[in-house]
Amino acid sequence: MTAVRDVLAGSDHAPGPEPDAGAAHVEARRPDPDPETGRHRAGGPVTWGSRDPARELLLSTLREHRRELRGLAGWSVLEAVPALVSGLAVAQAIDDGFLAGRPVTGLLWLAALAGSVLLGAVGTRQTLTRLAAVVEPFRDDLVRRVVGSSVRRPAPAGRAESGGDVARLTQHVEIVREAYAAVLMTVQQFVVVVLGVVIGLAALAPAVLPFVIVPITLALAAFSLVLRGMARRQRDSILADERLSDGAASVGTGMRDVVACGAEELVAADLNRHVGANAKALGGLGWLTGASTLIIGLGGWLPVLLLLAAGPWLLGQGATTGLLLGAVAYTLQGVQPALQTLAEGLTGPGLWLMVTVRRVAETTTRPDPPVELARPDPARPVGTELHLEGVGFAYSPWAAPVVQELTLSIPPGDHLAVVGPSGIGKSTLTGLLTGLLRPDAGTVRFGGLELAGWDPAELARRRVLIPQEAYVFAGSLRENLTYLAPDADDATLDAAVDLLGGRLLIDRVGGYDALVDPEPLSSGERQLLTLVRAYVSPAPLVILDEATCHLGAAAEGVIERAFAARHGTLVVIAHRISSALRARRILVLDGTEARIGDHEALLLQSSLYRDLVGHWHGA
Amino acid sequence: MSTVQGTAASRTTNRLVLDIGRQAGPWAVVLAANGVLLALAELALPALLGATIDDLLDAAVGASIVALAVVVAVVLLAEATEDVAVAQATARSTSLLRTRVLRHVLAVGQRVPESFSTGELTARTVGNTAEAGSVAADAIRAAITMLPAVGGVVALFVIDRWLGVTFLLGAPVLLLVLWLFAKESADLSAEYLSTQGVIAARLAQARAGARSIAAAGAADREVTRVLAPLPGLHRSGVRMWRAQSRVTIQDMLTFAALEIAVLAVAGWQLAAGRISPGELVAASLYVGLAANLSALAPAVGRLVRARAAAARLDEVLALRPTRYGSCPPAPSGGRVEFRSVTVRRGAQTVLDRIDLHVPPGSVLAVVGRSGSGKSVLAGLVARLQDPDEGQVVLDCVPLPLLSHHELRSAVSYAFARPTPFGHTIRDAVAFGLPGPAGIDLGVDVVAASSAARADAFIRRLPQGYDTSLGAAPMSGGELQRLGLARSFAHAGRVIVLDDVAASLDTVTEHEISCALQEMTDRTRILVAHRSSTAARADRVVWLEDGRIRALASHHELWSDPAYRALFGAGDQHPEPVLTTAVAG
Repeated sequence: MTAVRDVLAGSDHAPGPEPDAGAAHVEARRPDPDPETGRHRAGGPVTWGSRDPARELLLSTLREHRRELRGLAGWSVLEAVPALVSGLAVAQAIDDGFLAGRPVTGLLWLAALAGSVLLGAVGTRQTLTRLAAVVEPFRDDLVRRVVGSSVRRPAPAGRAESGGDVARLTQHVEIVREAYAAVLMTVQQFVVVVLGVVIGLAALAPAVLPFVIVPITLALAAFSLVLRGMARRQRDSILADERLSDGAASVGTGMRDVVACGAEELVAADLNRHVGANAKALGGLGWLTGASTLIIGLGGWLPVLLLLAAGPWLLGQGATTGLLLGAVAYTLQGVQPALQTLAEGLTGPGLWLMVTVRRVAETTTRPDPPVELARPDPARPVGTELHLEGVGFAYSPWAAPVVQELTLSIPPGDHLAVVGPSGIGKSTLTGLLTGLLRPDAGTVRFGGLELAGWDPAELARRRVLIPQEAYVFAGSLRENLTYLAPDADDATLDAAVDLLGGRLLIDRVGGYDALVDPEPLSSGERQLLTLVRAYVSPAPLVILDEATCHLGAAAEGVIERAFAARHGTLVVIAHRISSALRARRILVLDGTEARIGDHEALLLQSSLYRDLVGHWHGA
Repeated sequence: MSTVQGTAASRTTNRLVLDIGRQAGPWAVVLAANGVLLALAELALPALLGATIDDLLDAAVGASIVALAVVVAVVLLAEATEDVAVAQATARSTSLLRTRVLRHVLAVGQRVPESFSTGELTARTVGNTAEAGSVAADAIRAAITMLPAVGGVVALFVIDRWLGVTFLLGAPVLLLVLWLFAKESADLSAEYLSTQGVIAARLAQARAGARSIAAAGAADREVTRVLAPLPGLHRSGVRMWRAQSRVTIQDMLTFAALEIAVLAVAGWQLAAGRISPGELVAASLYVGLAANLSALAPAVGRLVRARAAAARLDEVLALRPTRYGSCPPAPSGGRVEFRSVTVRRGAQTVLDRIDLHVPPGSVLAVVGRSGSGKSVLAGLVARLQDPDEGQVVLDCVPLPLLSHHELRSAVSYAFARPTPFGHTIRDAVAFGLPGPAGIDLGVDVVAASSAARADAFIRRLPQGYDTSLGAAPMSGGELQRLGLARSFAHAGRVIVLDDVAASLDTVTEHEISCALQEMTDRTRILVAHRSSTAARADRVVWLEDGRIRALASHHELWSDPAYRALFGAGDQHPEPVLTTAVAG
């Protein structure tokens, strides 16, 4: 439960319900052009509409595993045998055995009870196996869903992203798995036990049936009403905790801002509203839990009291002592525990299941993404010139454009360096050059074809992007290096490794067939591996987006010179001014203004370029 | 040494646990009293049920069933009360604890993010407070669990001592099974968790490399690679279920065997006429109560977790809050003095005996290579941090003597990477101390935004100043201007700008510097990376390795090649005519 709370507590920002109009709402928002973060909240309305994704998800898995579920139900009948036999066995043991002065017969009946427990154990074993067959594939589906949609989600431009959402989703999957199993178990056990007891009672004495069935039915009806209220308060509590977490996280990242603005009181008051809202929801949940306990308790005890009160009448109707005791045993040891387990299952795991499954459903897409709408242009590309014509781009319709009216030609064999202050839009430009972002205005053509019209696989063979965050995955070194050139042989790899200065690293890792774990590698070493990967690829256009920023200036020089001497075009988003000095041409980004030229010309023409040169030297 | 500290920490943790427990207030008392009542009623119940059955068999109806009904009612009400009391006590303790921890965190200020990552901070203020907040309920329930269990055993002895003996002989087997369960399931879940960790790690790598993967068109390949361990996870999961079924069955069989054994002995005694049929029924129920012994371990486990959470909170509460003085307002002016100021970070000296004074209304540029202590120096003026030695003095009053309100209304501050707070853009600019009564903050917000050249882009947003921050993704430059607007809206005698133009284009930077140029009634301290900024300052303080290398005008310093190298200008370039930019 605590883990669950942590998980939901550390969740994303999202535009939740509007806060109170008058109260200052203090909650930091990290600037986040990333459209997929911060759109989801745990739990919308708990009453599920027919097109609810969470409900769809649960129903579809129930449908898919119909056969296993039937098996589960079948075996749980066997599991219910002890509950079914207990009343009868106790009744007979007393009537025919102990009270009739035949203790051995009584013991035999008890032995029969023991036998039924063994049968029940077999049933339990089988039901749990069947449960595994329903729950584990569901977990697999959820993991596939999470992984599939996370890997296919567009990358945030120019920014490494925290792994938080990954961990969170993985944990959500576990919560759903456990809660789903618990709910299936309790509901299924309840149904079987109640059915068993009803059949058992009908066999013993049909006259007592109403005494048992009516109170249980009434209790369940009342319980379902209370459950709705509990679900609402559970959701309120989780939402309040999420807001509190968001607030606490923004205090963590923005403490400087809070202190410098003297806003400690303001922030504390705002966070306290969430604390209060959570306490209020939990308090309300407590009252309702009490009510549900009372209702379920009454449902379990009323049958017993009714049976006992009606005892003389029942005995008058010809019921025996044993029968009466058997009926009491059925209710006390069958119905009561089953009701309690059901209530606990639905109020605990059940509520979490509702809230969490919704969250997983909302933050992921279906395992099979819709087919890409891109229509490859039937025309064949001619050459490898990259040409931008009047390109404009903004992250939202109302944001200031990051790139505007940019026209630029990068001929085959060019060596271009892009410089500009941080945050000015260099990585956005990379996105446009590679086709990862589509321009709002103008066109980007590569080999005469618009990037949007390229077949993605073909494009991937013709141009390489190595971003700042080097992607090295757990696998063999060879897999990593030939990621973009599956056919590259050792000689090709050797040549590239030697040229880029990676021999020591390769030897240290243990050769091409050694497994590489990215974690212990330094950022620079990871960058070196991805650079070799880019070098051996057949692509005639290479774009390095600060891909050498974690390497020393000397290593960077060796690498850039090697790439410049490689066949094809090189575009370098510069991290150091030395990259610009090596380039044939330099593009300076200043707001939406862009100037292109060589070093000497830009020193005279661009005051920003002068400042940038100064800053780099100074740092 | 460490033991002594450990003991001290453990003592303060214990004190914290007691504090938290006490905060549960009257609900803890209700919970304890109710728990005793519930235990007694639960113990009376089987006996009364037995008596009712016996009466029934003797055809005597009346008193016993009424008594039974009353006790059932008491049990049900007490169970419901327990639920309510646990929830109320926990909600109360948790919310008081959260308020306390959050207030403390805010009072400590900048040292919190230095000591705890954001994730840690969130986990402690939200997660650990909830765990520790249940300490009163956990402790009371752990103590009371034993009452019905022990009472059940005693009741078995009272009905017939052989029943009690039977139970006590069987009970150790039950406990042994439970103990084995805990061990085995821990091993299996470790295996499961590690496979799950592998998938999570691969997914995290793939997420971090999302741009590379997208550019390589390799999403499908990556999904397959990340999911490769999934079948293994499936197998571990199935094995866990199998282990659980084994344990459930063992548990079930042991308990059933215990119950049947007691029933058999009871049946024998019933046949011998030593007990009544009602007592037999009662005995089977007492076995259930007595088996509650096994609930002790999880109850103690919860208590241990709550204490561990309290220990983590204790680490947060151990940080010392920033203290403010209560000095009356200093005469206005805005004269800032550093008197032999030293700041250390670990063994390193960041600022070394800095003596500096900034005349009222002047512009001081702070320059130096990165790591020379520029931002630390600027931060001292806003008391983001206090010096380890020496004093920073504002208009003859050392900063720690100023009241919170006095200090914050005198000094405003803007950063290169601000974090905006609030629901709307307007909130984000107005964020901070409330304005003087009767003055409409809205006017200030617009004026400040205009001065910071943020007005135009804000007006382009769908709801202008009332646009929600979450609905307005901003670029680095826009964010910087928002932060600048915030500092202008609260500008007092002193404005500190720490590299606020890093992401601005030259035109915007120029416009902002003009606005700043007009604020002649304020002392302006600017951390500068561009020579254009330093050029417009009255004086430049040049920091090197934590010391002042020079203090003069930009013009005087420009003749020094080392100074020019700071801005990357070599000998071949004349001093650029930079009359345009100041904020930088």
